[in-house]
Amino acid sequence: MTKRILFILIIMSVALIVPEARADDPVMMPPVLDGKQRDCLDCHRYPNVNTNEGAYASQALCMECHGQKACEKTVNGQPVSLRVDLESFEKTRHRYTACIQCHTDVARCPHDSESGARCTGCHSVHGEEEIHDPHLRVDCQACHRTSRFVSLDKESGQIRLSHVDDQNIPISLADHTLPDVADPEFCKRCHRTENKVGAAAAVLPSKSFLCILCHSAPLAIGHPIFWIAFVIFLFGVILTLNLWFKGSVQGEETSLHRKVSLASESVWQVIFSRQVFTLIKVIILDIFLQRRILQESVKRWSIHSLIYLSILTRLMVGLLTYFAYRIGPDSSLTLALLNKNNGFTALFYDLTGLLIVLGILWAMIQRFILKPVHVARESQDNLAIAMIGVLILLGFLLEAVRIVMTQIPQSMAGFSFIGYPLARLIGVLGLDWKVVYPWLWYAHAGVGALLIAYLPFGKMRHVFNTPLTLMMNYRMK
Amino acid sequence: MRIEENPQEAVFIRFSVLQRLLHIIVMVGFTGLALTGFSLKFSAQWWASGFVWLIGGAGHLAYLHRFFAVITYACVMAHILWLIYYKLVLKRSLTGPQSLFPRVKDVKDLLGHLRYFFGRGRLPSFNRFTYWEKFDYLAIFLGMNTMGLTGLILWAPEFFSSLMPGYFINLAQVLHLYEAILAVALKFVVHLISAHLRPEVFPIEKSIFTGRTNREKIMREHPGEWEDIVTTSESAAPGSGSQTS
Repeated sequence: MTKRILFILIIMSVALIVPEARADDPVMMPPVLDGKQRDCLDCHRYPNVNTNEGAYASQALCMECHGQKACEKTVNGQPVSLRVDLESFEKTRHRYTACIQCHTDVARCPHDSESGARCTGCHSVHGEEEIHDPHLRVDCQACHRTSRFVSLDKESGQIRLSHVDDQNIPISLADHTLPDVADPEFCKRCHRTENKVGAAAAVLPSKSFLCILCHSAPLAIGHPIFWIAFVIFLFGVILTLNLWFKGSVQGEETSLHRKVSLASESVWQVIFSRQVFTLIKVIILDIFLQRRILQESVKRWSIHSLIYLSILTRLMVGLLTYFAYRIGPDSSLTLALLNKNNGFTALFYDLTGLLIVLGILWAMIQRFILKPVHVARESQDNLAIAMIGVLILLGFLLEAVRIVMTQIPQSMAGFSFIGYPLARLIGVLGLDWKVVYPWLWYAHAGVGALLIAYLPFGKMRHVFNTPLTLMMNYRMK
Repeated sequence: MRIEENPQEAVFIRFSVLQRLLHIIVMVGFTGLALTGFSLKFSAQWWASGFVWLIGGAGHLAYLHRFFAVITYACVMAHILWLIYYKLVLKRSLTGPQSLFPRVKDVKDLLGHLRYFFGRGRLPSFNRFTYWEKFDYLAIFLGMNTMGLTGLILWAPEFFSSLMPGYFINLAQVLHLYEAILAVALKFVVHLISAHLRPEVFPIEKSIFTGRTNREKIMREHPGEWEDIVTTSESAAPGSGSQTS
């Protein structure tokens, strides 16, 4: 019995002695600071980190350990420095920021972090312009840090800053300077042939605003080919307008100025009168829902609507994505719409793409196999159909290559019900998809640019002509 | 600036479709600029923070402010292009008696108008644009340019401080604010009352929206213009129709 009491007493005294010994640690926590005995509240306080004074107080507390050379941890027997160089940190734009503003979960015991540094507390995610959807899976730190070692987490598909280098030797990530990400060379950290994170082998431009017809797109031009396409498109529109105003307007034959002012006057009178409701009816029934084609033939309506309504809904979702991003870049709606692997988004874009392909196939069967008498077989029609068909097929192929290349798990990519099976199929080929992807991307973008440039010239001109004719003729019914 | 139809008919076009359209866009853009701008400037006030909450954050408010700025200034640009077209292609006068250009007659009209207010004379024979209409127009036309310039400096301070001394940014800030207060006071108080809340047209002056006016209205509000219409139509050969556009 006495032995047991003695044992308990010994344990208790050890428990009392051990913290004392830690408090005496001369390196990490000197009891005297700046020649003054340390007070409890020197450390145990909650500075207002929204002021410069508070931010500096927070930095000073952390730097007391993290400013010392001896501050390190041991990973796999290798020492890894945790020292933050205050001098270089004060040259970054974060110099007035408290450590705990970003390292939100470290001011606690045990002193380690689960979330890592969090950037999105202050910054928003990038949109389509700076980076596009695949980068939603990339941690901010993977780019905005000087360490060039990144790794792909195959479970979550997330690309992170690596804690080890090429030779699997642990490295320090304590450097707080920010690299110049505007330098195009910078992107080659991942975008080179021999990367392991599933990035394309070339740095691709962003999508163009012209892509909004079918994709979510930024308000940027993207690549010079889109400039060329846009200029040709505008030229075609001006030619068409010029042609329209060759005729007489309300009796005016010569003066273009009079024609334009008479035409605009009558448009104004319609818009600001009760007739506008009739016009809205025409727009909904005849232009959106294609009532006239339906009256002619259900089959024609089905073929046309498969293509046209799919593109229209894609345009609507693209615009929704743009405005959702402008209003709330971090909202769950925006992130879902921007993310090509999101359940809804993947399903929606694959489904509408499939519907367009079905429409094109049906139209081709009509034209080349069944050949009913009333189907006009103009080469112009065939060209337009072929262009859209090739564009969509390249799009699906591009999606499949993206899924193979980025190595994302089935749980993420599975919602692309066309893209994922296609990815499994082409995966058998075992090509170097990182090199294939940029070529395919430019092919898809090139055909897209060609289609935009072609819009006001050939058969596709009807996307402007027909709605306008229908609107101008609404009174005749 | 242009009379579309034969003077014998009762309906005249006072504002072209372009002018009506620009007025509507500037109306929306200017109101949007005032709302977003003042909410940003006086962000500590309850109404401003309430508005920011409603819109979804100061960042989005700043975005909207720039959006409205772009559409408003696009109208100024379109108007300048129109003036060039009017002068060079249509070969019409930008400074004539029926134009918006300030003339000596405006000072005489102002004095005559004051005399009329005190019962010491008849109403002056105003031309197509009265002196207060010219003042309204020139105030917003020049004001939008100074607001545009200072706003552009505040939009890209890094770029402009590489061209000019740093205190120009502070100057731009001060000018942008006071010019904004001036412009809002002028448009929402003076313009709204003098153009739309006059007893003759209360509650709204429709001609800037429909573009139309009639003989009676011109004779009452712009008698000088009516004389001009009558003399030009008499000098033109009868039956040939007006050559104006």
